[in-house]
Amino acid sequence: MELLCLGLNHRTAPVEVRERFAVGTNKLGAAAAEIAALADVPEGVVVSTCNRTEFYLAGENAHATLERLEQGLSAREKLEAEISEHFYRLEKADAARHLCRVVSGLDSMVLGETEIFGQVKQAYNAALEAGSTGSILNRLFQRAFSVGKKVRTETRIQEGSTSIGNVAVDLAEKIFGHLKDSQVMILGAGEMSRITAQSLVSRGARSIFVTNRSFERAEELARDMGGSAVRFDDWQRVLEQVDVVISSTGAPHAIIKRADVEMVRRARKFRPLFFIDIAVPRDIDPAVAEIDEVYLYDIDTLEQLAEEARTRRQRQITECERIIDLELKKLNLPGT
Amino acid sequence: MERGMDHWLLIFSTLLAAAGAFWGILSVRQGKRSRWTVIWMAGTFLLQLGFLTVRGQDRAACPLRDTGEILVYLSWSLTLFYLLIGPAYRISLLGVFSAPLVVIFQSTALFPGVLAVSPERVANTSPWGETHSAVSVLSYGAFALAAVAGTMFLVLDHQLKAHQMAGGLFRNLPPIRELLTSLGRLLWLGLGLLTIGIIAGLLMPRNGSMAHLIAAIAVWFAYAILLLVRAKRGLSGRSLSLFTVAVFVLSLAVFALI
Repeated sequence: MELLCLGLNHRTAPVEVRERFAVGTNKLGAAAAEIAALADVPEGVVVSTCNRTEFYLAGENAHATLERLEQGLSAREKLEAEISEHFYRLEKADAARHLCRVVSGLDSMVLGETEIFGQVKQAYNAALEAGSTGSILNRLFQRAFSVGKKVRTETRIQEGSTSIGNVAVDLAEKIFGHLKDSQVMILGAGEMSRITAQSLVSRGARSIFVTNRSFERAEELARDMGGSAVRFDDWQRVLEQVDVVISSTGAPHAIIKRADVEMVRRARKFRPLFFIDIAVPRDIDPAVAEIDEVYLYDIDTLEQLAEEARTRRQRQITECERIIDLELKKLNLPGT
Repeated sequence: MERGMDHWLLIFSTLLAAAGAFWGILSVRQGKRSRWTVIWMAGTFLLQLGFLTVRGQDRAACPLRDTGEILVYLSWSLTLFYLLIGPAYRISLLGVFSAPLVVIFQSTALFPGVLAVSPERVANTSPWGETHSAVSVLSYGAFALAAVAGTMFLVLDHQLKAHQMAGGLFRNLPPIRELLTSLGRLLWLGLGLLTIGIIAGLLMPRNGSMAHLIAAIAVWFAYAILLLVRAKRGLSGRSLSLFTVAVFVLSLAVFALI
């Protein structure tokens, strides 16, 4: 029996092609059985996420199985000839190595992301329940999961945040710990503010105050976020009680000046205050950062921190691949 | 003169604390959590306890009769509070910062002449005097740990201000708010203990200089004012930490001079 993988991902196919092969989570088991039948092999697993769809099969002859599967897919889906250009075809050890890379997050759009591990596990469990796996794929997937865990624990592939929103959340947690006791003020109801605030809410932040020059926009965003709208003239009053300020107004000059913060320090009892300035031009005067308890991060700093994390992850790839190769050599998997 | 069991207990306890500090710093540099620090420190604590028991039996009194004993007792109380507070607050790094302080105190105690090789039996002990010494030094353990938490705050505050997110130290340091909470509680605990120590000191029979009692009262006022200002007016984390570290270092220096 030989192992093979036919797949497409965010690097090989645009979204309009990927969506044609996407399989819903609740249909993964049935799809795995269907694909195995299509290729006329006893074992099959279908992995499908927003960035990839991959078919893992174990058959007598990898090359012949691959041909049967492609012909079967073309006939069933009525595919244009050029669609096949988007697929990659991997056999034996290459297929096993690829699965380990996928599980470890090395093949993901966001390098080292952790969600893929659970998604592959879900796909495998669905195939297992549907009875479309056997000794080859069972061993392959179980080993791939342990290799993935090893890669993630022994390297820094998932270290740091790679998006502005996540960097902001990490910083907020470094300052305040659990965010459930933290209050957030959004200054300017722009899209970036919404995304960043949503990241904070997803980690527990509860009290959200939204203020905007247009009060209707503030009310609209406050409704979406489950917070309360504040008149723009009142933001200084709210500053006394909040812990995090996300600012992204379209103002051509600084909105929050050092004197504004100095004025509320006593009332705040000098509690830490975290400013996230994602506006260009900046909304917060850089002199605000000179105040003891203030931590100010502008968009460039956040982007730079995200980029540094991405670079650090990139540097880990060689080490991750070394671990994968070493583990695969030790495992001597059937079908490879 | 041949070293007694107490010296060996102190040497091994210092070595364990040094190992804890070494492995802690190493794991922080590698970006890992220093999970074993609490175990090393628990071992250190047991050996310190052994040392103090042996010395207490030799003295037939609370073993706080020479500078060496005071330093070991101070290290013991620092370790005790770390073991009580560190795991409860999930502050594993507190041990990594505390262990070097324990090593410094105990290594100083091991210097020739600092710790009496043959401790003399104490005659005519007073319960007030014993309470005064024991509880006062115990309060310094809490103040020492507060100073450690203050140092951790200052490191993290600098990293956050300078936008330095990379590195194991940043990842492993507890959040600013958690550090300030534990720092505040340690100061209150220290102040409470020092109050008992001073009251006992005022009630004990006095013979000779009152300098150390006056110094203790001055230290009490320094911490009390710090906590009062924080409660009433508020203090930035940086000011609170700087004052906590400064008052601790200053009071240690004053007692060393006395």
